[in-house]
Amino acid sequence: MPTVSVKWQKELFSNVEIDTSQSPYVFKCQLYDLTGVPPERQKIMVKGGLLKDDADWSTLGVKEGQKFMMMGTADEIVKAPEKGPVFAEDIPEEEQVIHVGHSAGLFNLGNTCYMNSTVQCLHSVPELKSALIKYPPPVRSNEVDQTSHLLTVATRDLFNDLDKNVKPVAPMRFLTELRKKYPQFAQLHNGVYMQQDAEECWTQLIYTLSQSLKSPSSSEGLDTVKRLFGIDLVSRVHCPESGEESTETESVYSLKCHISQEVNHLHEGLKHGLKSELEKASPSLGRSALYLKDSRINDLPRYLTVQFVRFFWKRESNQKAKILRKVDYPLELDVYDFCSDDLRKRLEVPRRILRDEEGKKLGLKTREKNSGSSSTDNDVKMAEAEASSNRSGDLSKSEPVEDAPEKEKALTGIYDLVAVLTHKGRSADSGHYVAWVKQENGKWIQFDDDNPIPQREEDITRLSGGGDWHMAYICMYKARDVPM
Amino acid sequence: MAPADPNSTGSTGGGATRDQASVKVPSKDPKKKDEKKDEDLSEEDLALKQQLELYVERVQDSDPGLQKTALESMRNLAGEIAQEYAKRQTEEAIIDDLMELVGQIVAFHMKHNAEPEAVDLLMEVEDLDLLVEHVDNANYKRTCLYLTSSAKYLPGPDDMLVLDIAYTIYMKFEEFPRALQIALYLDNMQYVKQVFTSCNDPQKKRQFCFILARHGITFELDEDMCSEDDEREGLQEIINNIKVNEGYLTLARDIEVMEPKSPEDIYKAHLLDGRASGGGSVDSARQNLAATFVNAFVNAGFGQDKLMTVPSEASSSGSSTSWLFKNKEHGKASAAASLGMILLWDVDSGLAQLDKYFHSTDMHVIAGALLGVGIVNCGIKNECDPALALLSEYVDKEDSSIRIGAIMGLGLAYAGSQDEQIRSKLTPILGDAKASLDVIAFTAISLGLVYVGSCNEDVAQAIIFALMDRSESELGEPLTRLLPLGLGLLYLGKQESVEATAEVSKTFDEKIRKYCDMTLLSCAYAGTGNVLKVQHFLGQCAQHLEKGETYQGPAVLGIAMVAMAEELGVEMAIRSLEHLLQYGEQNIRRAVPLALGLLCISNPKVNVMDTLSRLSHDADTEVAMAAIVSLGLIGAGTNNARIAGMLRNLSSYYYKDASLLFCVRIAQGLVHLGKGLLTLAPYHSERFLLSPTALAGLVTLLHACLDMKAIILGKYHYVLYFLVLAMQPRMLMTVDENLKPLSVPVRVGQAVDVVGQAGRPKTITGFQTHSTPVLLSAGDRAELATEKYVPLSPILEGFVILKENPEYREDH
Repeated sequence: MPTVSVKWQKELFSNVEIDTSQSPYVFKCQLYDLTGVPPERQKIMVKGGLLKDDADWSTLGVKEGQKFMMMGTADEIVKAPEKGPVFAEDIPEEEQVIHVGHSAGLFNLGNTCYMNSTVQCLHSVPELKSALIKYPPPVRSNEVDQTSHLLTVATRDLFNDLDKNVKPVAPMRFLTELRKKYPQFAQLHNGVYMQQDAEECWTQLIYTLSQSLKSPSSSEGLDTVKRLFGIDLVSRVHCPESGEESTETESVYSLKCHISQEVNHLHEGLKHGLKSELEKASPSLGRSALYLKDSRINDLPRYLTVQFVRFFWKRESNQKAKILRKVDYPLELDVYDFCSDDLRKRLEVPRRILRDEEGKKLGLKTREKNSGSSSTDNDVKMAEAEASSNRSGDLSKSEPVEDAPEKEKALTGIYDLVAVLTHKGRSADSGHYVAWVKQENGKWIQFDDDNPIPQREEDITRLSGGGDWHMAYICMYKARDVPM
Repeated sequence: MAPADPNSTGSTGGGATRDQASVKVPSKDPKKKDEKKDEDLSEEDLALKQQLELYVERVQDSDPGLQKTALESMRNLAGEIAQEYAKRQTEEAIIDDLMELVGQIVAFHMKHNAEPEAVDLLMEVEDLDLLVEHVDNANYKRTCLYLTSSAKYLPGPDDMLVLDIAYTIYMKFEEFPRALQIALYLDNMQYVKQVFTSCNDPQKKRQFCFILARHGITFELDEDMCSEDDEREGLQEIINNIKVNEGYLTLARDIEVMEPKSPEDIYKAHLLDGRASGGGSVDSARQNLAATFVNAFVNAGFGQDKLMTVPSEASSSGSSTSWLFKNKEHGKASAAASLGMILLWDVDSGLAQLDKYFHSTDMHVIAGALLGVGIVNCGIKNECDPALALLSEYVDKEDSSIRIGAIMGLGLAYAGSQDEQIRSKLTPILGDAKASLDVIAFTAISLGLVYVGSCNEDVAQAIIFALMDRSESELGEPLTRLLPLGLGLLYLGKQESVEATAEVSKTFDEKIRKYCDMTLLSCAYAGTGNVLKVQHFLGQCAQHLEKGETYQGPAVLGIAMVAMAEELGVEMAIRSLEHLLQYGEQNIRRAVPLALGLLCISNPKVNVMDTLSRLSHDADTEVAMAAIVSLGLIGAGTNNARIAGMLRNLSSYYYKDASLLFCVRIAQGLVHLGKGLLTLAPYHSERFLLSPTALAGLVTLLHACLDMKAIILGKYHYVLYFLVLAMQPRMLMTVDENLKPLSVPVRVGQAVDVVGQAGRPKTITGFQTHSTPVLLSAGDRAELATEKYVPLSPILEGFVILKENPEYREDH
């Protein structure tokens, strides 16, 4: 009976006797006593392979003092978990959007970045999406013409596509419908479709949607788009010469930020934009006279659109020239200054509630809310504080705002930046338009056609112009409201 | 080699006499030229002889000025003799009288510290044997140094001849470690044996064993080499590289890097501003696979990590298993195999921990476990041959992933062993009509690895037949490229021996013929520095191809493989590759980053780093991928902060592109290979010796990288584990005579080229003093900073045994 030594992991069992008359299984059982490894789990290395249970010792030629090596553990056998993990690669594309955290980009179909950026900005308005889903209403009004109808349907489908895809979408149909409805976007130059003004596209699209989404059955008599974007202005028209004075009301979809030498900040530009001079026939003077028009906001929308009037018609060069002046804009905009007295009264209670809430959040630190006059670096500093409040604001608003709960929410006149449409280049019909959109998770994404790039919030305020970098052309602010 | 400028290397005489010499020498020249024209050969010879005698007389003159002059003239004379010799060779005239002169000149040079001149002259007259008589204790070191370093620049058989002489001289002066080095360089086992039999010191023999182990060859000691059984067993253990794990862990403990690192510690995402990757709530199989590899590379050999070896008691379900199953399908194979990498070189615990996977019902897990066994045993030989015992029965299983796991495992575990059993096990697969292409491809590679540089006829034939059997469509498959490579590995560094096989390859299908030719040639001349072959490859790359031809990829890699032999060649190759980048076609541009990666492996040269960084943003994604992986290769095991930063930025740049991000992650793992304790460089021993298995591993990976999308990004990502063949601790570990670690102060600095320099020049510059064990970077050299011990090997790398210096006296 030869004795051998067996090496198992780091241990060495010397002087293990082998009963060569018995099968190797017996030997394995011996080792079981020593190591606790069940015989069927033991792997014993002998020359030329593993020791089989039914092998014959004599053919193996075991020598006295030979060293065996045994492999095997009494460890639990690895079992696959019942439910394997789900891998991102396996998830269907629609669901991947949730994990990617932003929606898809749009392919540039040949100078269509003006349209892509407009669509991306408007796409970020959930209320508009939900309104579009309900389109067409069961009873369609006859006022909507066929082209508008098709454009609205195309918009609805495009928004849908954007939500479902991770990969970029080609807005073919939308473009065709847009060009059908507004032939000016199909202008050719040297056989190529021309670059267009994004603001024009924006305005036309909003207009079309406002027409088609107007529900005749609605008791309110107010259309969705108007509720979302419409701004009621009350203007006092005053003629300094004759002392005549009249009041006009109008409804617009965007505020204009006029840029002149004195304008350094959005607040100043808006103030400028609300004042204008016009010449009209004065009944008392019997001739045309200069009138001063001073507008104030009478009703606020959920989404406030601000257009930077960066382009003007330069007569000498016969083209739309661009003002590169740097105009800062805040992440949080307070329009209280521009409101009419009537509206101010209405805003007072909600504003107090909001202030209290925020005061509570900041630990009783009452904070002056004058974002309107703050300078750029102040903005950046405030960005962090705002980010925290924004997030909580988003949470409360995250559920789709339906008609009923909306009534209980009151506007405060304070707005948060949610989308910026920028232009890069020297004239409106050239250069490149890009949309910078805040996602529901609070992250900013730069939609450069088919390429969505995550951006930091502090970089968003750097799009204020003053160079050849992207500069804000249209800003969209979302109202911060309080429950009443 | 041209003789150095006599004025700068003059070793005798002062500066005052220099003017004299320079005036005199030119005045003689025209006269001699005249003589040459008019007189016939023997007359001229007579004149030469007279001159020599005159010089010899003058040299012995007491006037130092005259001595100096004579010496200068002697050098001139040597030049003339060389010319004369060449002339007579063409005319087939008698040279005896000339040789007599040569003998005198050589004797003179050797006595006067002008070894390079003597060697140059002897090389010119093709009679180096003369040298052996003239070397003595004082000058043999410099002579041999000159011989060995000039061998790199010599063509054809001359270099072997030169090294042969160097070996003879080293043996004559009992400088055994150096002799052993040369024997290994020549791949001459007879010489290795001779070193063992000539040396009687058991400690020195141990040192030889360490050198053999580092070189990674299989070598059996017999009774002639070591008569005592116990002692022989001990020595064989060292050759079998059993000690490497222990030494590596000692180093790790000394440097205090035992703490396992998780992939997140490597990615360092917190250092990236803003761009946090979106989502993250769901596991991505691709990213988990990347994390598996990063974890394996970073914790390689440490025996512990944060994913795979977490104690299973930690949670009832066993968190280690849960990571395994966080990988998808074939990813599980790589995950299971990564355990082998973590327990690298630790056969006992490695096999114990892998055991549990053998009982899995998942084919991929079993395949991974088999591969893991191979990885654990890589570079280690165990007397029980556990890898063969465990793997051999799986080689013929049904499931092809299991087969590949077992085959690749065998290839890794027995690389360079030329094991007969493996051959008989694997060659039938090549002829198996039922075996799928991937199984055959991996079999060819494994056989190539096991028989690397052996020129084995049988294996070559088997692979050639397998190649011929491939159908037209199979030849177009990405994995087919591994077949010619397996064939090429058989001839790695064997130069002309490949010719017969290369002839045969000309009969192959057109689709693969050129590819095969390039691969064979590049392998055969790998590490030779043969300039003609480099030019040949460059010529191939200059051609503009029809679509579909792929052979330029291996040609580009070939440039790197051939030129990597010495520094100068590397620099030239880098420049040539830059040109290819500008003028080459796309398939060349894709291979260039890989070639750069091979040239500077584990040696992050700044200019190469910049080139690769630029290419990592290339418009062609495959170029970018190759560049990113190569960034990992050049920084492999260096923890280089600049590359780490580049890769971090790339990870945010490519955060959306899963494939490129995968490459970035792999590269990040490579840079932190073994937490910076490992190197992938196949060159060792002061960049003199090339480990064939290491190079084979690297080349296999690079060939696989030529089609990144199909292989590494496909389901054969485990080819990354071929790198394990090249993984070695980049350490200097000093041990005492009982092989216990011994800490002594050493100076570590950049190596200086001292070839042909007079006196005892400093061999390192900009050094710092550390105490061993210590890390050595590329181009570093260490020397002992104490007189207390004497190293048994002149090359302070890897394990070095120190002996107490009997003459040492503590001074107070």
